[in-house]
Amino acid sequence: MTARRLEGKRCLITGGTRGLGLAMAKAFTRHGARVAITYRRDRADADAAVAALTALGGEPLVYEGSVADAAHATATVAAVNAAWGGLDVLVNNAGVTQVLPMALIEEADWDLVMDTNAKGAFLFARAALRGMIRARAGHILNIGTAGSERVLEAPIHYAAAKAALRGLTDALAREVGRYNIQVNLLAPGLLDVGMGQMLPKHRIGEYVEQASLGRLGKAEELAEIAAFLVSDENRFMAAAKIVADGGL
Amino acid sequence: MCRACRNAIAADVVATATGEVWMRKRCDDHGAQEVRLSTSAAWYEQTRAMTQHRVAPRTGKRPVALGCPFDCGPCEAHGQKVRLPVVTITSACNLDCPICYVHNKNHDPYHMSPDDFARVLGHLRDDHGGELDIVNITGGEPTLHPQLCEFIAAAKREGIHRVTVCSNGVRLVKDEALVAQLAALDARVALSFDSFEAEADVALQGAHLVATKLRCLDLLEQHGVSTTLIPVMTKGVNDHEVGRLITYGLAKSNVRHLEIHTITFTGQGGRTFDRAGRISMLEVLEGIEATTEGLLRVDDFVPSPCAHPLCYQIAYLLVDPEGGAPVPFTRFMGREDLYRALSDRLYMEPTPALEAVMHEAIDRLWAEDDPASARTLRLLKGMLTAMFPSDRAITRHEAMAAGERAVKAVYVHSHMDEDTFDTERAMDCCDSNCYADGTTIPVCNSNVLYRDKEARFNDAPAVWNERRGGHRLRVLS
Repeated sequence: MTARRLEGKRCLITGGTRGLGLAMAKAFTRHGARVAITYRRDRADADAAVAALTALGGEPLVYEGSVADAAHATATVAAVNAAWGGLDVLVNNAGVTQVLPMALIEEADWDLVMDTNAKGAFLFARAALRGMIRARAGHILNIGTAGSERVLEAPIHYAAAKAALRGLTDALAREVGRYNIQVNLLAPGLLDVGMGQMLPKHRIGEYVEQASLGRLGKAEELAEIAAFLVSDENRFMAAAKIVADGGL
Repeated sequence: MCRACRNAIAADVVATATGEVWMRKRCDDHGAQEVRLSTSAAWYEQTRAMTQHRVAPRTGKRPVALGCPFDCGPCEAHGQKVRLPVVTITSACNLDCPICYVHNKNHDPYHMSPDDFARVLGHLRDDHGGELDIVNITGGEPTLHPQLCEFIAAAKREGIHRVTVCSNGVRLVKDEALVAQLAALDARVALSFDSFEAEADVALQGAHLVATKLRCLDLLEQHGVSTTLIPVMTKGVNDHEVGRLITYGLAKSNVRHLEIHTITFTGQGGRTFDRAGRISMLEVLEGIEATTEGLLRVDDFVPSPCAHPLCYQIAYLLVDPEGGAPVPFTRFMGREDLYRALSDRLYMEPTPALEAVMHEAIDRLWAEDDPASARTLRLLKGMLTAMFPSDRAITRHEAMAAGERAVKAVYVHSHMDEDTFDTERAMDCCDSNCYADGTTIPVCNSNVLYRDKEARFNDAPAVWNERRGGHRLRVLS
């Protein structure tokens, strides 16, 4: 780490208790940010995340709920505003996938994946933007996937939801750019957390073979990219799609 | 091979007028001999004609000098690498089964050293190029080896997914702490379990062990130890129980496989066991069909592509977590597709071939829109959801374990003895005993010829006759 890029920044990361979300929460804390995180239901993960962030000197705020629940989004942002007097950075990271072929994806599966990955980002962005517009500043970073940018085999509902997130990023960036709010999308490839730790070896092997860097990404590496993207050092990127996949 | 002197001799395989398959041969010293190989010439020919996926051993090849089966190590002519490495870590055993097909020694027993075990693993690693996924630890009774758990841990450190320990269960029921250790090490137990009936139990195991076996299975289930049941089928003794054994095994949450052996007349017990008990592979398959009430049919089984087709028959079944009848894979994919899915491994693993055939099967079931397929699709979705949960990240190992809970297998494995010995099968064998010096000997070759020559397993080791092998069966119609 070369600098404390996020000194004093008030950041909210959805799905911040494990995987890439937790890695970003840790990185942001190390960069001097105040970090709030949300989680769906696993209290043990949340407790472990709080312990990890506290050990780094943070005083994290933690909120339980589904990102697809509008009331949860509104209440969470309101609570962060109440605690810190505003919100500078929103990272829409919470996501879900299912490894299912088209034939086995039912309507409820489609709704779950679209609601969590796409609708959740919309709800949290809408809740956060009112304060950001008032402040005429802010960063919203949506976490997509290289699967919607490159020809990767991905479940269709997941790929569709992440592609929707890309469209949301483009349109929202144009809509709120006038208020000095930067909306960007970070699209990671396969990482050493989450799905990357579950897939069979041959799947990992195929990815590694195709990637220019010849390996999976590390959550910490993506977290540092995210820290830059939501920092004041990044003043001109908007509606950008940053693909970090090791060079597929 | 001659039954009496175990010298290699030429043999013919013939189909009889009644449609059976017999091996006929003549030893100059011991006369004419014959044995029935199969009750169906059509099944025998069809099965033998299946093309296997040969991957020759990479290391340790020895020149052919005496001819098969006398140059093991493997020899340069051996066609298949070791898919199931078997490591005999002790000569000691706490039973003396009438059907025991190996030689054991309890006086001054042999216990493999940790260094030798490490050397075995090293040789296997070299031969498998980092793709070693299974090792089978056996004996004697391997639970009598004082460093068993050390060996298991060493194999796990090598990244071996399936570390199986063959056991008769006697020590395990007396030592629950050992069962707990096996669970902690994520070892698998291959439990011999031949019968539920007292008379058959005594005939095959030489003792009343049914209660012990059931208690052992309960303990293994309580501790969550993945288990394979290994019944040895013997005609007229326990073959009528095959369906009950399968049904029982499939219902136990921790039983992953059943590996049913046909009795083989080798070793300290088997050589003198009544050969009227001989049973062919097809008879076992037909017995399974007759006693499982539609659960499994003969055509639900396919040979293993990794072994000679007359050695293994395999059926995979999709388990219903709600307790409904399991669904054999061949009910939702073609036999040739299942055969293709098994082409890389003796045991099913998530390979590209498996992914491809499963995906095609799911698409076909869905496209055909047959109401009867709905349950199968639900079970397949349940399996995928368990392997790749959407609400939490699990490890690759946990994902594979979830897959194994959703799928069970019934293997039928036919070993050879001196009556049925066939060099074609021996040269394509994928199950080998593995030694510290890198030697590997196919299990049947070892049981028939090599083990009784080793001082570590015999107080009075046998000596080799003059040998000349290399005969290939003449298979005539």
